Amino acid sequence: MNKELKNSCNPIIFEEVFNLYAKDLKRFLFFKYRDLETAEDVMQDSFVKLWENCENVPYDKVKSYLFTIANNQFLNIKKHEKVIRKNEFRHTKSITNESPEFLMIEQEYLVEIEDAIASLTHKQREVFLLSRIEKKKYKEIALQLNISVKAVEKRMHLALIVMRKVMKVG
Amino acid sequence: MEKKTKNNTEEFYLAQWLEGNLLDTDLSKLVSNEDVIAYKKLKNGLEVLSKLEQPVAPSFEKIQAKIQHNSSASKVRTLNYKWLASIAAMLLFFFGLYQYLGTDAVLNSADFGEQKTVALLDNSKVILNAKSAIKYSKKDWKNNRAVYLSGEAFFKVQKGSRFTVKTKRGDVTVLGTQFTVNATDDFFEVICFEGKVRVTDTNKEYILNPTQAYRKINGDDFENLNYNKKEPTWITGESTYKSVPLHYVISDLEKQYNIKIDAAKIDRKAVFTGVFTHKDKAIALQTVFGAMRLKYKNTTRNSIMLE
Repeated sequence: MNKELKNSCNPIIFEEVFNLYAKDLKRFLFFKYRDLETAEDVMQDSFVKLWENCENVPYDKVKSYLFTIANNQFLNIKKHEKVIRKNEFRHTKSITNESPEFLMIEQEYLVEIEDAIASLTHKQREVFLLSRIEKKKYKEIALQLNISVKAVEKRMHLALIVMRKVMKVG
Repeated sequence: MEKKTKNNTEEFYLAQWLEGNLLDTDLSKLVSNEDVIAYKKLKNGLEVLSKLEQPVAPSFEKIQAKIQHNSSASKVRTLNYKWLASIAAMLLFFFGLYQYLGTDAVLNSADFGEQKTVALLDNSKVILNAKSAIKYSKKDWKNNRAVYLSGEAFFKVQKGSRFTVKTKRGDVTVLGTQFTVNATDDFFEVICFEGKVRVTDTNKEYILNPTQAYRKINGDDFENLNYNKKEPTWITGESTYKSVPLHYVISDLEKQYNIKIDAAKIDRKAVFTGVFTHKDKAIALQTVFGAMRLKYKNTTRNSIMLE
């Protein structure tokens, strides 16, 4: 009974599904496309398709549905790009406008980083995430946590050293 | 102060470098080359992670917008068949209802002080006096020439099949002639001008010959009057009465001039014989009430009090 009610046609469930899988899907797509914007677009389109097809997708199949749609979309785009390249000899499409270093980042590497972050002390991790993920200035973090800027800098510095060590070993 | 800042920078150089306050070249002076590469990669990796870990709420809003857009554009297409089916069903339903209830009825009415000439489907003509209405069904007019009347009207009927005027008080049947029917409240009067008219009251039948009139007031007294005109006078702009109870005359005045007359005090048995014009209110009131020796005054613009 409960299972039947759990259908992504229900806007509340749909939002729940979105919050559950959006980031994973975006990450999955990012490592396929190497482009954040495209990843974001295809992610959004996949959810739109899910909504339109919500009646035909059982709740426990939602995740695989989303990833299949996203992957098909990826293949379509690639196919399309191939056609374009065939017809336009001089076509030099840069797949992405990110820096080359950016391209080097592999999915496994991100997992390594996440593991390294997990190995930080609570205090270091708190500051580190506020700085690197939430993009807050040291001053803002100091104000928020009611500590000195210097203390923030110290934690950041130590965090980086710890992470470097952990990742070297890993 | 200057020195302290510098010390500060050197003490937590990695933090400074991450924040962009220390150049890569400066970093390479402080750590090994290998470390610089590793830290740079880490910085980039964190950049990617940060972008991937951004809150997804804005994306959700965009998705909602896309869904909205799609449902107004393409998703409608999938529903179209259902819509078409339901529209077809509705049309069928209303058509059936229309057939069944005969909602093809045509209604014509004349308002206060108006006269209206209505041509029926067979060129029969109806002239409606003020505040009167007729209703008839277009559908089987050929087989059933029936008109529902409330108020007063003059009929000029083309020869042909039976023509019936139905009123609350009784039916009037003819084969082609000219006559008036006045069915106002409990006043029922039929005057025949040409041909023969059959009046069917609750259970009695009367045949009227030209210039004959049938009148029934309040459901009890029946009168047979003679009338020697070609057509009713109200068509030419005046109402003619022959021994008609005064309150009917008053109600006709009200209809012609869209006024309210307080006739609470008049004698219900008083009858009026005479004519009043439809063109001038003052004269009409003077003719009727003057003849009846009644005093009246205007209480407001459209209401009159009898004394």
